[in-house]
Formats: sequence, C-alpha cells, structure tokens
Amino acid sequence: MTSVVSAKGLGLVFKTGDGDVQALSDVNLDIDKGEFVSFIGPSGCGKTTFLRVIADLEQPTEGTITVNGTSAAEARVNRSYGYVFQAPALLAWRTIDRNVALPLEIMGYKDSAARVAKALELVNLSGFEKKFPWQLSGGMQQRASIARALAFDADLLLMDEPFGALDEIVRDHLNSELLKLWARTQKTIAFVTHSIPEAVYLSTKIVVMSPRPGRVTDIIDSPLPRGERPLEIRETPEFLTLAARVRDGLRAGHSYEE
Amino acid sequence: MAGKTVPILVVLGVIVLFWYVMAVVMNAPWQQTLNARANLTDVPFTEFVGQTFAQDKPVLPAPHQVIGAIWNGLFGSAITAPRSLAYHAGITLGATLLGFALGTLLGVLLAVVIVHNDASDRSLMPWIIASQTVPILAIAPMVVVGLGAVGVTGMVPKALISMYLSFFPVVVGMVKGLRTPEPIQLDLMRTYNASAWQVFSKLRWPASVPILFASMKVGIAISLIGAVVGELSNNAGGGLGVRLLTGSYNGQTIQIWAALFIAAALAAILVILVGWGEKLANRRMGVRA
Repeated sequence: MTSVVSAKGLGLVFKTGDGDVQALSDVNLDIDKGEFVSFIGPSGCGKTTFLRVIADLEQPTEGTITVNGTSAAEARVNRSYGYVFQAPALLAWRTIDRNVALPLEIMGYKDSAARVAKALELVNLSGFEKKFPWQLSGGMQQRASIARALAFDADLLLMDEPFGALDEIVRDHLNSELLKLWARTQKTIAFVTHSIPEAVYLSTKIVVMSPRPGRVTDIIDSPLPRGERPLEIRETPEFLTLAARVRDGLRAGHSYEE
Repeated sequence: MAGKTVPILVVLGVIVLFWYVMAVVMNAPWQQTLNARANLTDVPFTEFVGQTFAQDKPVLPAPHQVIGAIWNGLFGSAITAPRSLAYHAGITLGATLLGFALGTLLGVLLAVVIVHNDASDRSLMPWIIASQTVPILAIAPMVVVGLGAVGVTGMVPKALISMYLSFFPVVVGMVKGLRTPEPIQLDLMRTYNASAWQVFSKLRWPASVPILFASMKVGIAISLIGAVVGELSNNAGGGLGVRLLTGSYNGQTIQIWAALFIAAALAAILVILVGWGEKLANRRMGVRA
C-alpha cells in the first residue's frame, strides 16, 4: 500500500503573545490509500492543527510531511485534497449548485454542471440545487459543503469535525451516509472528531491524541469490517471493546490536574 | 405602509402649522413698517396675517409661497430657460452623478488597496480621515478657482468636490465590507489554491455588496451637497447652488427656499434610487426577505 499522508517527527509551535504553544510534538503517522482515519482527542490536542498541516494551512516547525508523495504545499497547489470545515462556510449569495460549483470555477473545470449534479447526488441533495444556504437545515448545509469538497474528485478528503455542530440523530444519519459515500468513492478520508462512537463507527484506523503538548498516544487499527456498517454495529462486543480502548487512551493521555 | 401614513401626515401638519405661525411672527415687524409708511392704521388681524404671507422678500416665506415658486420654477418656463428650476436642478444633478461615480470608484479602489496591503492600511487611513476634517467650504473655492485658472470649468470642478466628499463613506464602508469573509472562507479559497483575483471576485467583492450599497446611499446624498457647495463658489455656471447664491445676494428668500426644497427632494430621489438598486442586488443574491 502507498502512503497518502506520511508524517515523520512532525512538530508545530505557535508563537503567541504570552509565550510559545507546542501544538504538535513528534507526530509519526502514515495514512494509506483508501483508509478512513479518525483523529480523536480533547480540545487542544492538535487534531485540527494536524489536519491543517496536511492541508498546508499551517506550517510545521519540525519534522517532515508528505502528501501524495509531495510536500503539503505542492499537494495543495495540485488540488489533491478536499477540505470540509467545522462550519459549512457556504457563500450566502450563491445557490447550492453554485456553491458546489465554486471550486470547479476556480480550477477551471469545463464539465461543471455534470460534476455538481453527481456531487449533490452523492450527498442526497439532488433537488435542492436552486435553494440558497439559509433555506437549508444545518445538516443539509454541511452535506452541501461535503458535496463541494467532492466536486473536483480529489482522492483525499480532510474533514474537520464536520458534524460537530449537529444533533445526534442527524449526526448518526450523516455518519452512515458518509460510510456509504466512502465505500462508493474509494477515497482516503482523514476525519477529526471528539466523539468516541463516531470515531469507532467510521474508522479503519483511530488515532488517539492528547494535549499539552499535542501528541499521538495510540494508533488503533479497527477490527470492524470495512465498507458499509449498519448503525447497530455499535451494540456489538467488538465495537464496545474498541470504544473502551479509545476511552482508555484518552484518559491515559489526559491529565486533570488543572 | 398604511399604518405609517397617519403619523407622517400628523407630523407634517404640525410642521406646516408651526411654519405658518413663524412666518407671521418673523414677517410682522417689516409688515408693520410697511403699513406705517403707507399710513395704514388699524389693519384687522386677519388682513395683517394675509399681508405677512404675501411679501415679496419675506424673512420667512409661507409654505404656499415656496410651493408656488417651486411650481413656477419647474413648470412655469421652458426647461432650457435660465429661469427654470428644472434647468438648474439638471446642472446640479449632472455634477452630482459624475462626482458620485468618481467618488464611489475612488473609494472602492482605495479600499481594495488598503485591504490587500497592510502598509497602506496604516499609511493611507489617517490621511483619508484627515481629508474629511478640512472644511469643504474652504476647499471648494480653491478647487473651482484653481481649475478655472487652468481652463477647467463647468461640471468637472463641482464633480471633483462631490467626489472628495463621497469617496469617504465608500472607502470606510468597503474596507469593512471586503473584510467580512470569515477566516474559514478564506482558508477554503486557499485549499482551492485560488488566485488573489479569484478570492476578490468570488468572495470579498460579493460579501461586501450590502455595505457598498449602504455607503453609496450616504455617498450620493453628500455628493449633492458637494455639487451645491461647488456652485456657491462660482455663480457663472448655473445650478441650484447658484440659485441659492443669487437669492441671498438679492434677498430673494422665496427663491432660496424653493432651491433648497428642490435640492432636498433631489437628494431624497437619488437615495431612493440607490435603495432600489440595493433591493435588486439583494434579490439576485438571495438575501432573506
């Protein structure tokens, strides 16, 4: 298997007004093609920062990172990933189809209409093309933002707590939709979350992180079957064992001293 | 709308009533002098009131005198005649619109430079603010006379004064407007490796349109003021400002008030037109009604 993302000895220090903050420290990680990797940990553990380093939105201060075999900067210039943010970040003055078409316009795609239709179909938003973002629910807006990230067919999808602001019922639904989408598109997905069930349900690999300094404390390969998983899988002993291990990992890495 | 009509009419009625009372009070001394000269004694009060509403050069003309002058000025003579208020309003309107267009353009350009360049943010903004602390009444004659000396007369000097006033709300508004996009929207554009022009045209510019219209509403009203002030500095070219000026030279208070009201109405119409443009843009950009 080829590594889509490979980090070696990665560290990142933010210089702030009241001193340096070690956001990431000595992160070593490989993400293979086709994997679904979740990053889980409490706030401040650097999971979002790590995703932003992959996306070349932050620059590491130590170590190296390669994305698709190139530097993160080159990977960004090559448009080799789609990024889904915590908020939908849709442009309020564009209808849904034109929001999804935004990256296609910027990248100069000619077959924009067909791609938009396909991306909206993948997230079950066909029929909402001409709605403005405010006419859609929060869950639908986030699906539209996923469609936007899918529209230009990058092989790597970076998702930063995309369902964090949604209620649990909508989240469950979108989680199973996301698994189906992943199975259909064969993409590599890096997914940041702070929900244990979400991480265990979705992932082929779970990266447990802890704060101060942000570091990886455990990397767990999931024994659960790949591809589509029924939501009921969350009641199985395998699932619960895995969830317990993640929880232990989080607890071990977290100090409650303050 | 229907719910507003009655309060508006009540307020208007109170203003008109107050105006009539003040017209009697302010014109009374001169009317008494006139009556004394004509040896008219014991003029009944109702007749005296009528006299105070019918002076040629009253201190305060009565509303119907002003309305009559506006009517005559607009419809009493050919639109090309120098007596026509419509003719003068047209001259002022031309300078206003040219100045407004130039001012809006300058304001937007400055805002674009400021937003994209930190150094100009720090260096330009103080000067832009300082420019508005200089009294326009002091600058206007210099601009008009100075440009006149090099042969530029007519609409252009007045438009430049309008521009000088109207670029300010646009630049201040647009600096804010172009910075409306959230950090994650800017990050999003970065993940697409979008060029600076694409970030501007697809994100910053559309995000700033609501503020642009708000700024333009202020800008177009003060553009008119700029044009009128420019006309006050040179009574050769015509315009509402010239009517104000010649009116005050000759004590033609009715003419002054008529010109004032025409100018105010013109400003109101222009602001309403910009408001329509705003509504049209809002509809196209899907703003929640």
